[in-house]
Amino acid sequence: MKYILLMSGTKSGVNSYRAWPQEDIEAHMTVLRGINKDLTESGEFVATQRLVGPTEAKVVRGEKHGIPVTDGIFPESKEFLLGYWVIDVTSPERAYAIAGRISAAPGPGGVPTNMPIEVRGFAS
Amino acid sequence: MKYILMMNTMKAGHGVPSWPRKDLQAHIAFMMNLNKNLHDSGELVAAEGLAFPDQARLVRAGKDGLPITDGIFPESKEFLAGFWIVDVDSPERAYAIAAQVSAAPGPGAAPLNMPIEVRPVMSAPPPDLL
Repeated sequence: MKYILLMSGTKSGVNSYRAWPQEDIEAHMTVLRGINKDLTESGEFVATQRLVGPTEAKVVRGEKHGIPVTDGIFPESKEFLLGYWVIDVTSPERAYAIAGRISAAPGPGGVPTNMPIEVRGFAS
Repeated sequence: MKYILMMNTMKAGHGVPSWPRKDLQAHIAFMMNLNKNLHDSGELVAAEGLAFPDQARLVRAGKDGLPITDGIFPESKEFLAGFWIVDVDSPERAYAIAAQVSAAPGPGAAPLNMPIEVRPVMSAPPPDLL
């Protein structure tokens, strides 16, 4: 069964990540790459993607005749998707375990970020 | 350039919407047709619908990296209902596709005018972080 693991954060959270010491960012990315490699080897990896930052986000609505109306103003509290993983696993518990590993990726000073990861199944 | 179109319309605790069956069918037919058109134009990279929020879990790593799951969300939380990744020539084209999605029919065939969040996807991490 396929699950998507969603990593989200606010604009201020993204800004604080960008201010991490370079070595902490590298350590964080190394752990995430290791998780991707493990998932590839176990055959559970489907896709992963990082998104560009919230400053480039637009919300679009279709007005009359389907003409797009764009808006780029968001409340500070809005959570933006930062990136996702799609995995194909045999149980929800396995999806939660992988999300736990991502959540435990190191932040500043090597301390786990404990970021919340939203886990959702795909509609069949 | 690749963009992700995100439909963040579902609220905590909700399951399948209680629309009349013919309205649900019209909505699904609209989305299937949209996906077919994007596929035919070579712009569709991926499209997925997600299961409803009543099946969502939030996971954090506890001690020893063991997952701690939580399924309680504030009523105001918006959930991803589905997404499209498109490969288009301009941001304007991504916005035009998002507007089509936004105008998908709802109850009584009235356009939903859902807000669709549009974001570029990153091609790769910056080389200095690899």
